[in-house]
Amino acid sequence: MKFEFLKEEPHGTTKAFFLSSAVWMVLGTTFGFIGAIQLVAPELLANIPWVVFSRIRPMHTNAVIFGFVGSGLIGCAHYLVYTLLRSPLYSEKMGKLTVWMWNLAVLFGSLTLSRGYSQTREYAEWIWPIDILVLAALALMFYNLFQTARRRQEKLLYVSVWYVFAGLVFTFFIYFFGNAVWNPATGSITGMPDGILAWFYGHGIVGLFLTPLAVAIAYYVIPIVCRVPLYSHTLSLLGFWSILMIYTHIGAHHILQAPTPTWLKVIAITGSVAMLLPVSAVLVNLWLTMRGRVANMHATIGGKFVFAGTLWYLLTCLQGPLQSLPSVQKVTHFNNWVVAHAHMGVLGFSGVIALGGIYFILPRITGRSLHSEFLAEMQYWLVLVGMAGFFTVLTVAGLIQGHGWLQGETVYRMLPQIHIYMVLRLAIGVLIVSGAILGLYNIFMTLHGSRGKEGSS
Amino acid sequence: MKMTPSLIVGGSVAIFASVLYIAVLLPWSTTTREPSDIFRWRTPLEERGRQLYVNNNCSTCHSQFIRPIDWGLGAERIAQAGDYIDERPHLLGTQRTGPDLSQAGGEHPDDWHLAHFINPRYVRPESLMPSWEFLGMENIEALIAYVQSLGFKMADYRMERQRYWKEKAIEAYEAGTDANVAWLHERVPKPWRNLPNPYGTTEAGLKRGQKIYQGFCIGCHGPIGDGMGPAAPYLYPPPLNFTTLKGRGVSGGILYYYIMNGITGTAMPYFKRDLESEKIWDVGNYVATHFIGETDAGQPPKGIEASYEPPYGENPYGGEEPRRER
Repeated sequence: MKFEFLKEEPHGTTKAFFLSSAVWMVLGTTFGFIGAIQLVAPELLANIPWVVFSRIRPMHTNAVIFGFVGSGLIGCAHYLVYTLLRSPLYSEKMGKLTVWMWNLAVLFGSLTLSRGYSQTREYAEWIWPIDILVLAALALMFYNLFQTARRRQEKLLYVSVWYVFAGLVFTFFIYFFGNAVWNPATGSITGMPDGILAWFYGHGIVGLFLTPLAVAIAYYVIPIVCRVPLYSHTLSLLGFWSILMIYTHIGAHHILQAPTPTWLKVIAITGSVAMLLPVSAVLVNLWLTMRGRVANMHATIGGKFVFAGTLWYLLTCLQGPLQSLPSVQKVTHFNNWVVAHAHMGVLGFSGVIALGGIYFILPRITGRSLHSEFLAEMQYWLVLVGMAGFFTVLTVAGLIQGHGWLQGETVYRMLPQIHIYMVLRLAIGVLIVSGAILGLYNIFMTLHGSRGKEGSS
Repeated sequence: MKMTPSLIVGGSVAIFASVLYIAVLLPWSTTTREPSDIFRWRTPLEERGRQLYVNNNCSTCHSQFIRPIDWGLGAERIAQAGDYIDERPHLLGTQRTGPDLSQAGGEHPDDWHLAHFINPRYVRPESLMPSWEFLGMENIEALIAYVQSLGFKMADYRMERQRYWKEKAIEAYEAGTDANVAWLHERVPKPWRNLPNPYGTTEAGLKRGQKIYQGFCIGCHGPIGDGMGPAAPYLYPPPLNFTTLKGRGVSGGILYYYIMNGITGTAMPYFKRDLESEKIWDVGNYVATHFIGETDAGQPPKGIEASYEPPYGENPYGGEEPRRER
C-alpha cells in the first residue's frame, strides 16, 4: 500500500484527528509524568536539557491542550458539523491538510520548547512560526467547515453547530491577539498590559477553544444516547450567548493580586461569579435531557465518558468562581490548588468529553464496534480515578502551601511539607499515562486492526 | 432566534471585538508608562540573562510580583505597575515552587548564585530547582547578572553592599583563622556575644538541630562541619570550618546572630526569614555540640528558668560544671 499524504477516504479527517489525539494523549501525559518525577527527585534527570522541568512543563500543557484534547475535539467537531448538516465535508483533502498542519505544530512546538526556544507566556510558549502554523490550520478548518455549512441539506442549525463555529472563530482571534503575532520576536506587548493580554488569552484558550467544542459534543451525544429531544431551545440560546459574553472578560483573575487596574479586577471577579449562569444553563439543559435516562448514558462507553465529563464540568465551574474571590485567592494563588483546578478543566471536563466523543463516533465511522470495549472501560476508570486522585492530592498540597505562606513560612520551608503529595501525584500519574496508552492501542486497532480490513481495503 | 452561520460568526466577532476593547485595549491604553521610583533600564548582559530566563520558562516556578500578604524573599516592597514598563514579555508568573524573584538582586553574592545554578541543592539542600550546569558558564553568568538586577535600584544598592563586605570578608579570611574569628566576633554586638544559648542541650533538641542543619547548612559547611560541602569549591571566602573553633569563644549568641543575619558579602545568607527563635538556637547548639566540640547551652546567665526544660548540666560537652543558681 502506497502512503498517501492527503488520502481521501470517508471520514478520513475525523479518523486522523482521533488518532492524533490518542498519540498526543500518550506523549502529553508522559511529558507531565517526566515533570512530576522532577518534583519528587530533582537529581534523577539532572542536566538532561531536553526534559528539564521548566521546558517539559510547557511541553506538557501545550501537548495536552492542543495535541490531545484539541485534536480529539476538532475531530469530533468535523463529524458533528457534516452529520448534523447532512452534507459531506467540503474537502477531505483540505481536512487532511489541517490534520498534518495541526500535528506538525504540536510536534515542532514540543521540539522547539525542549531545545529552549520559548516565548514563556503560559500556553503561548510556542514561537512565532508555530503560531502561524496553528492560525493557518484554524483558518483552513473554519473555511472547510463553513463551506460545508453553506452546502448543507439541513436548514436548521443544531446547538452543537453553533458552538463549533463560535469556538473556531474565538479560538482564531484569541490565538492571534494572545500570541501578539505582530511581534514575532517576543510574541508579546510591553509591561503590565502584556500580563493582562496574556491572561485574556490563557484563560480564553481553555474557555473558548476547549469548552465550546466539548459542550458541542455533549449536546450532540446526550440526546442520541438517551433517545429524547433536547430539553430546551431557550436554555441552549442562553447558555451559548452568555458564555461568549462572560467567559471572555475574566482572564484578569489570574493576576488579581498584581498591580492591574482595580476596575479590571472588579470585572474579572464579577464575571467569574457570573460564569455560574452559562454553566448552569448548559448543565440544566443537558441533565434535564437525560432525566430518568442516566442508565442509557452508562450503557455505552462514549455516553459514559460524556456523562463523567459533565460532572467534572460542574465541579470545575463551581470551583472557578469560588477561587476568583480575593479572600480565597489569598490562600489558593501561586500553589498546587490551581494545578488541581487546571487538570479538572482540561482532563476531567474537556479531555474526558473528547474521549467520550471519540468512542461514541468511532463505531459510527468505521462501521464496526470498538476493538475492545473492555480496554475502553479500563481507560475510563484509570482516567476517572487518576483525575479524582490528582484533584485531591494537589488541592491538599495547595492548601498546605497556601496556609503556610500566609502564616509567614517561606516557599523553601514549605517544600518538604508537600513532598509526600508530590510522590502521590507521581503515583497517580501512572494511572493516567496507562490510560492513555490503552486508549492509543484501542483507537489504533479500531481504525487499522486486521479485524476490520473488510470495511476499508 | 433563528441561528444561521452568519449570525453565529458575526455575533462571535462582534462579541470578541467588544470584549477585546474592554478587557485588553482599555487597560492597555490607561496603564501607566511612567517608571516607578526604583526603575532603571537593564544592561545588555542583564537583557541576555533575561532572554535565557524567558527561553527556559523560569516563570514556571518563580513569580515576579510581591503582594500585600507576602512574607519571604522580596517582601520589602509591594509591586507597582511602574516597575513593569520594560517587561516584554511579562514574567509575572502563576506558581511559586521557588521564591518570588522581583527583589532577588543583591540578596546573595555572585559566587552563591554560581554554586546555586550549578546545582541548587549545593546551597539549598531541599530545593526542587533543576541544575543549570548544562547551559555553560557564559550563560550562567548572564543569568546571574539578570537575577542580580531584579529590584532595579534597590538591587543595585544591595549589590553595592555585597561588594563592600566581600572585600572586608576576604581581607579577614586571608589574615588567618585567628584574625578572621576575631573580626567576626567584633562585628557582633556585645550583648549577643555574651549570650549563652538559653535552651538546655537535649537529645530531642539536637535531633531537631540536625534536621535543620541538613536542610539549610550542609551544602556549604558539609556533613561534618568542616566547611567542605559540595558548594565550597565555588565560594570565596570559603565556608567556615567549625572544627577549628574550639576554645575561640564562639558563644550561642554569636552563632544565633550569624545564622539570623548572615554575613553579607560571603555566601552565608541570613536565615531570619526561613527560621526563627528556637529553630536557630537548636541548629546553633547542634553545630556547637557536634562540630565545635563545646557548647554554652543552658548555662548561666539564664534568668528565670523555662518551666519545661530539663535540669542544667546534662550535656557531656558542656565546658563548665553544671551549676544551679537559686
